Amino acid sequence: MGIQIDAIKCTACMACELACGYHRDDAFALLSSCIVPYRGREKKNYVGVILKEEDSLVAARPEGIEINRIGEEQDPEKEADASAKPMLLRESCDLCDDVDEGPLCITFCPTGAISMA
Amino acid sequence: MEYLASDKIAIVDLNTGDITEDELDEDLVLDKIGGAGITKHLYDQHSAAHDTENGPIVLGTGLLTGTLVPGSSLGVMTAKSPSTGKVSHVPLSLDAGIELKYSGFDYIVIKGSADKPVYLWIHDGILDINDAGDLWGKDTWAATDHIRDEMGDDLIQVLSIGQAGENASDLAQIGINYWQSADRFGFGKLCGEKNLKLIAIRGMGLLEISEPEAFVEDCAELIAAIRSNTTTQKQGIAAVSAALGEEDLGDWLEPLTHRHMACFNTPVATNTFLFTDEDPALLEETTVTEPGFLFTDIFPLVVLKKAGLSAKDAGLVLKACAKYGIDGAAVAELSATSGLTDPAEIEKTFPDLKGPVESAGESVFSPWAAVGQDINANWERRQAVAYILGLHPIWFQMATDLTEEKLLDLAGLGTEMEFTPDTLDEVIADILA
Repeated sequence: MGIQIDAIKCTACMACELACGYHRDDAFALLSSCIVPYRGREKKNYVGVILKEEDSLVAARPEGIEINRIGEEQDPEKEADASAKPMLLRESCDLCDDVDEGPLCITFCPTGAISMA
Repeated sequence: MEYLASDKIAIVDLNTGDITEDELDEDLVLDKIGGAGITKHLYDQHSAAHDTENGPIVLGTGLLTGTLVPGSSLGVMTAKSPSTGKVSHVPLSLDAGIELKYSGFDYIVIKGSADKPVYLWIHDGILDINDAGDLWGKDTWAATDHIRDEMGDDLIQVLSIGQAGENASDLAQIGINYWQSADRFGFGKLCGEKNLKLIAIRGMGLLEISEPEAFVEDCAELIAAIRSNTTTQKQGIAAVSAALGEEDLGDWLEPLTHRHMACFNTPVATNTFLFTDEDPALLEETTVTEPGFLFTDIFPLVVLKKAGLSAKDAGLVLKACAKYGIDGAAVAELSATSGLTDPAEIEKTFPDLKGPVESAGESVFSPWAAVGQDINANWERRQAVAYILGLHPIWFQMATDLTEEKLLDLAGLGTEMEFTPDTLDEVIADILA
């Protein structure tokens, strides 16, 4: 069981990122979130969502899901997104295990782009 | 101010280069709540005869900006409009409001005029005045790229002027990154007069909440209700336009629509990206450097469509407006009046374009959010609440179930302070006075 992301439905509103940050910090902050819409390709309107899991970094791109195992060598030809770099330092998704209603990113996503797999 | 704030006001004097800092006093928040309530107060406080002709520009955020309250995206710019002569308020949409909220400053007062071009760099509770000699003369896209490349951070939000502001056009706009803002009041001219090319903002702070569990629980109930409401589930500029009773732009825009984009934590995506120079159905990242344009303002689209332009040509016109830093709504209105429909011909008029224009409206709030609605007392009150608390003003017009009472409750839960309807009435009256 885990988080499933439909990047096509995502409008990059960052509600998931803030909800996750709240789960981590009991305050509103964005730096500790394990789920982050990447919005650094603004002129090209290329938007997806990055999720840090226990063993992997999941990039939910519009064209499909890409799973990168943490610790494995990445494709040097591929340009890294600036938003992805700090993700490796963050805690992994725990599915908000202390929240009865389930992951807060799902609760606060307004478009239904995030769900349980 | 302990909760939902950074507890810091910066006063920037461009005449001297001095920057002073004040705490955000709790009594001020109890009296003026936040957002436009406080930016208006600071404007009045810092207006002085020795200032540049049109006085200071004040930036700020609403009390609930950057929280999990649905629609809490808004920042505010307050200044005296060169075009209307009124102290007016422009919403900072997209991600500009949230980055300001988390920048370490609640409010920033920009006074005076620099003797050479400068820009402000605001981040981590630090505010610097930097030389903008390399930036002056650049269009807003080049200026945004320059700052982001120099700082190595593509998430920096850039409020900038283009040639229109540098040349003191009454129609000059302060843009947000590469896109048109809701500045219908000529605030870009004020920046030009101040020799202020741009304001770069990055927010990586943290906001404490007085009663976090109760606050977030209430926010979760709000978003659940919003998700079950068909009106507040609309996505994209065409759907929002139609839902609010303005012209349905759907068939016109659809063939070029790439994606709909939301402002921070706003359930309805009020922006739509059109691919004018790339296949709109492309899912992968394009190799085209500038594939299209993000439409952020409904009014000029409606005017350009009625004038007979194609959606692609409307995109080209508004992209040129954004780069030049001129209000697209004014350009649409004036080009329609003169019968111009060719994007290249319209662009040639930019340097000499003058008002007056009706698109500036008569309110102290930007008519950007008066989609399909008359600007009357009800509209102004709803706008005032949005600007005080930090809610997206177009979305807030749609979210009619989101009451003032509920928002004041949330403000209390978040801050351990009590805000009454009477206080809200007084703040609104002050803003509208």
